[in-house]
Amino acid sequence: MAGVVKAPGAFAITPHKVSVCILVNIYASPSQISVPFPFSSVSQHNRLGLYLLALTKSCDDILEPKLDQLINQLREIGGLLDHWLTDHVTSRLSSLSSPDDLFNFFNELRETLGGPDSGVMEDDQVILDPNSNLGMFLRRCILAFNLLTFEGICHLLTNIGIYCKEAISSCSSYELRRVDDSGNDFESLSEDENMDLNLVFKKINEEMEARKRATEQVSFHLHLPKELSTLVEDIEVSADPKSEHNDKGRESSSYASGELLRDVDPNGGVFLRTNWQIQGYLMEQADAIEKHGSSFTLNAFELTLRQLQKLAPELHRVHFLRYLNNLYHDDYFSALENLHRYFDYSAGTEGFDFVPPAGCNSFGRYEIALLCLGMMHFHFGHPKKALEVLTEAVRVSQQHSNDTCLAYTLAAMCNLLSEIGFSTTSGILGSPFSPMISVGTSLSVQQQLFVLLKGSLKRAESLKLKQLVAANHLAMAKFDLTHVQRPLLSFGPKTSMKLRTCPIIVCKELRSGYHLISEFCCEGSTMTADGAFSTAWLKNLQKPMGSLVLSQDNGSRNNYNPFLFFTQPSSIPGSVMQLVGSSYLHRATAWEIYGSAPLARANALVYATCFADASSSSDAALVHVKLIQHLAVFKGYKEAFAALKTAEEKFLCVSKSRILIMKLQLLHERALHRGHLKLAQQVCDELGVLASSVTAVDMELKTEASLRHARTLLAAKQFSQAAAVAHSLFCMCYKFNLQVESATVLLLLAEIHMKSGNAVVGLPYALASLSYCQTFNLDLLRASATLTLAELWLSLGSNHAKTALTLLHGAFPMILGHGGLELCARAYITEAKCYLSDPSFSVSKNPELVLDPLRQAADELQALEHHELMAEAFYLMAIVFDKLGQPEQREEAACSFKNHVMSLDHPHDVEDPIQSDTLLNA
Amino acid sequence: MSSKESCRIELRTAIRQLSDRCLYSASKWAAEQLVGIEQDPAKFTPSNTRFQRGSSSIRRRFRTNEITSTPPTGVAYVSTPVMEEDEAIHGDFYLLAKSYFDCREYRRAAHVLRDQTGKKSVFLRCYALYLAGEKRKEEEMIELEGPLGKSDAVNRELVSLERELATLCKNNTIDPFGLYLYGLVLKEKGNENLARKVLVESVNSYPWNWSAWSELQSLCTTVDILNGLNLSNHWMKEFFLASIYQELRMHNESLSKYENLQGMFTFSNYIQAQIAKARYSLREFEQVEVIFEDLLRNDPYRVEDMDTYSNVLYTKECFSALSYLAHRVIMTDKYRPESCCIIGNYYSLKGQHEKSVVYFRRALKLNKNYLSAWTLMGHEYVEMKNTPAAVDAYRRAVDINPRDYRAWYGLGQAYEMMGMPHYALHYFRKSVFFQPIDSRLWIAMAQCYESEQLHMLEEAIKCYKRAANCNDTEAIALHRLAMLHRELDQPEEAAFYYKKDLERMEAEEREGPNLVEALMFLATHCKTQKKFEEAEVYCTRLLDYTGPERETAKSLLRGMRIAQSGFPSMDVEHFHP
Repeated sequence: MAGVVKAPGAFAITPHKVSVCILVNIYASPSQISVPFPFSSVSQHNRLGLYLLALTKSCDDILEPKLDQLINQLREIGGLLDHWLTDHVTSRLSSLSSPDDLFNFFNELRETLGGPDSGVMEDDQVILDPNSNLGMFLRRCILAFNLLTFEGICHLLTNIGIYCKEAISSCSSYELRRVDDSGNDFESLSEDENMDLNLVFKKINEEMEARKRATEQVSFHLHLPKELSTLVEDIEVSADPKSEHNDKGRESSSYASGELLRDVDPNGGVFLRTNWQIQGYLMEQADAIEKHGSSFTLNAFELTLRQLQKLAPELHRVHFLRYLNNLYHDDYFSALENLHRYFDYSAGTEGFDFVPPAGCNSFGRYEIALLCLGMMHFHFGHPKKALEVLTEAVRVSQQHSNDTCLAYTLAAMCNLLSEIGFSTTSGILGSPFSPMISVGTSLSVQQQLFVLLKGSLKRAESLKLKQLVAANHLAMAKFDLTHVQRPLLSFGPKTSMKLRTCPIIVCKELRSGYHLISEFCCEGSTMTADGAFSTAWLKNLQKPMGSLVLSQDNGSRNNYNPFLFFTQPSSIPGSVMQLVGSSYLHRATAWEIYGSAPLARANALVYATCFADASSSSDAALVHVKLIQHLAVFKGYKEAFAALKTAEEKFLCVSKSRILIMKLQLLHERALHRGHLKLAQQVCDELGVLASSVTAVDMELKTEASLRHARTLLAAKQFSQAAAVAHSLFCMCYKFNLQVESATVLLLLAEIHMKSGNAVVGLPYALASLSYCQTFNLDLLRASATLTLAELWLSLGSNHAKTALTLLHGAFPMILGHGGLELCARAYITEAKCYLSDPSFSVSKNPELVLDPLRQAADELQALEHHELMAEAFYLMAIVFDKLGQPEQREEAACSFKNHVMSLDHPHDVEDPIQSDTLLNA
Repeated sequence: MSSKESCRIELRTAIRQLSDRCLYSASKWAAEQLVGIEQDPAKFTPSNTRFQRGSSSIRRRFRTNEITSTPPTGVAYVSTPVMEEDEAIHGDFYLLAKSYFDCREYRRAAHVLRDQTGKKSVFLRCYALYLAGEKRKEEEMIELEGPLGKSDAVNRELVSLERELATLCKNNTIDPFGLYLYGLVLKEKGNENLARKVLVESVNSYPWNWSAWSELQSLCTTVDILNGLNLSNHWMKEFFLASIYQELRMHNESLSKYENLQGMFTFSNYIQAQIAKARYSLREFEQVEVIFEDLLRNDPYRVEDMDTYSNVLYTKECFSALSYLAHRVIMTDKYRPESCCIIGNYYSLKGQHEKSVVYFRRALKLNKNYLSAWTLMGHEYVEMKNTPAAVDAYRRAVDINPRDYRAWYGLGQAYEMMGMPHYALHYFRKSVFFQPIDSRLWIAMAQCYESEQLHMLEEAIKCYKRAANCNDTEAIALHRLAMLHRELDQPEEAAFYYKKDLERMEAEEREGPNLVEALMFLATHCKTQKKFEEAEVYCTRLLDYTGPERETAKSLLRGMRIAQSGFPSMDVEHFHP
């Protein structure tokens, strides 16, 4: 109830605890021999002791194991004694038939405990030290029993009855009971109701299957504030079978409870769940949702949550999980509703592990609600709304001087600004930023972003939020990669400005991200709350015995990576892994832009192998995309499409994914090369549709789509249209400050003009592109711009062949070292052309100088199926052979030339499963 | 509608049948309606008139139109009930069971009837079991309550009851009362569709069981569900419709239904109270107060619905009347949620918010789903500046009934207080969605937009417009609209709204700074528009007020006179240099 904090519930006595007490009693029966009666060896005795220790350590359960589960565990622990133990426990339990029996039972227990002065060990006698773990447990149980009211004792008695009856009737199998129940249900319901339930049941089953596939194991990372855990103590769960089924869909509810049991511990072997564990479970699920995105099944988890909420109505975290679940399934309204509900109830003081619990004031932390709301709007593609909300979050956190939240909010804003193309923020980023952005009123978005980034970084550093610092460094690197830093204000006569980006800064930023992992390695242990240990206890206990854990998990464990094989739960948190991983991803991208293919590939590979498990599905998809693109450029389409197929299987459920986009890109390129212009245009249009979907416009994709559109037009020889498209694209890039893209567009413009025969017009574009490339250190693009420049010179006339050749030779190291197949081939052909058009060069003297590059080009183009360039190469070859007077080889080359020209003109001969596939899908 | 006499006969039979089956609240309801029917003047006896003293002038004062008791034509009604009574043989056991039941020894009652097969006995046995289970459930709920709220205490009889009643239902050996109980059990088990079906069947074959209607009402949460019900016509259906319309916030429809019913049940306290509640929702407080006063005169020990009365007294700030009411209900029954709520209201009015919270809390302890107590407690917390607690309380209200616009509004207010206007907007939006006719909500939302953090004046104007359209009693909207337009430099619109505001103030004979401001603006505006005559009117009106405006008006007048007289002379000068 509002405003009143109830005293955290005391240790409550439950049937399960009674059975543990019975076991303890067996373990430490007051007898004189060193190995008490039923045990045959000391090791057997000790094993039970260890097991009991583990059981007592996890006694703050939210859901306790049923008797049959306990019996199963005993079976594994007890070995030969199994029957005796279970019989004893069940008979002892069923002998408790009146309240008085309970009184007597607990009196007996008291005798097991030694007196306060039992420090003096009588030889060989087993006496439980009252201060030992087991002794404490017994004392707590006895105390709890003594505190019970008579009603409470009656409840305990009925619960014990149910607890026993269930174990006997259930035959230790959920399936059986479920079938039983549904049988009853169907009988009593009318026909149509029946159908519904069947449907529901089926659907859930399907989902369950899908889910099984989707869920992978995540290790426990518990670092939640203490006050949380005290909040959740003492949730009483009546083990009444009726109570489980009072839902409308009977199966579904009992299913859910089964599901919950299974969910909470996918290992199957461990049944105990402490309150901390439930919190941990929720956090784990939150991670999983974020990681798997929409492949995480909605309804099954929803059922679990509903069940959980029924058991613990004051555990508000459930609402947050529900919000996350809805968020990743794109259910805007429920997500919004649940977000608000969660923060209304919890006032933001529950569950955020990055806030130090001590400094919690009584006014709640609603600024966190704003932060979350902002991120939600961002996720759903309402950047403007998101920005408004985040602005309010900044103001409120400043007001409440919640610096942590402020830092995170600023980071979120940076993310928003850098991800989504705003042409202006005027009127959105208003007054609260005036202290920060007081320098000038007319700052561009990029400048504002830079200021924000700096501010956020500084704040995070001063607050020692390591993860945030790392994330900020990454963002900074990203910013440095694509933006020229200019002084915000330049005073006086033109100060000398170095208009270049600096790769060193980028590297430095990326590198500072790594420090995070080492820092977490040394202090990781302090981050873990004790709650996780109880699981570890039981896990460790069971592992050597070859129990269910391994046999059940064989399937899902295959793809485990070495990073997650920690025996202790105090590993590096998943979020840290994710951050470090994404720094690798950033590196790969940086190298891609700077033009070092091998380094880009190496980083992508590192990411794919080491961080795959910690990464979110979208990041994992991205890395696959990078690798496949690399394959396409360097190995040709065949291999790329083969790899794509496996990737598609892996990222099955994600609809509008990067994988799909990349598939379209590949298809487009191949269609262009093969000369399937119609198909190319179609694919291009699809890309355009993806770019401006319901959720906000993706600027990157939009530029890409129109770039490809221009390319297609160029291939169709519609030069003026292509030029128009490219021109408007350039204008857009300029407006939104997409400078890297501008370089590409300028190069394309140069190419268009070259192909249309206006080499003179093309030259300035090529030069402009070159200067852009220089500014941003885009080495590979620069090489290809140089190549285009050489081609332009060459097409100006044979007297410029020398100039062209020099330019080309200058760029050769870069092209051959890092360029893809197409670029190399183009360079070779251009080289040959240069030689051929040079009047001072004679073919007959030095035929290999020309033939060798041409052959190389033809070889490389084979993989790309680039008919146009191939035709050109063979044509040149034929001419050379003609001049050399080798008619046979000339005929051969001419024949190949003819083939390629023919297939360029009649592109529809080749059938391709993948392409027809896509079009159907689209 | 059938004649009064037949109605009376029906009700008399029904009361007997209902109380025979221990359906006490239904029989209470029926009895109330029975004496609510206007007596035949021929049979007038002094003892009868005692109940009907309310037929004074006050009662009829607010009757807008004389209602004739003729029913709409072409509607067929179910005839008088003929319920066969099947108990003859084992009547003695039944009598014993009923006495046990009356002493609230439910299990004993059920046990006595264990072998009886008559419909009546079966019903009573099942009903007794159900109540026994409910009682145990409530007890367990308290016994088992943990810090995270209730554990899932359930009525343990439900499963067996459902099985038995379903079999009876299948064999067609169930009477309407059994169906009612079956519906109740199904509802409890969450099978709402079937429950609705069963309850409809029950009320169709036996319409006089108001409890069945109430259960049915709680299952109809939208108009669509209501329209999907296949209900046969009976005058009881009118009661049901009136009640459900009120629940669905169709207050005017509800009111007209009740007024129609009042033609027949002229002296029904129930109807009177319901009318008061409907009028309360329509914010007609004066009338509500009169009705409740009258009601209390006739029925001084009534506690039901008195919380609404206390709300009215609260809004009207009648300290003594509220304290009198509180005293009265506490003498009648201290442990009724309504009583606690009334006391809470009283303390709130006195500004003793801590005490008030204590009483609301008690009300909630008595009934955890008592919606208005949650909301009112939220208000108290807001007063005490304990916003997180307020938010929590409001949120609970909203989760109990998502259409409770007051709680949504409260949530919005709380967040606005915390300086989160943008976040608050979400809640205001919800609140106006559920109650679009309340100008206060629109004004609150507009103020949120107007706040300096958001400063979204266009949106604020839209909200104020909505507020002005749904009779804004405090007349904030028009004034704010005018101000905003002036701020946005839209003098035409500003003048329009100032004029409207002025008209309104004149009509209500209100004076004050707003009036002066409006006059001032209009005077200058008209002057710049060269509408001198109009400007002069405003200026002369301004002269009636003291203060600097008067001087300004004087100078304005002077300026205008000069300008007017100056024009011709300038012309002359122009033409004759």
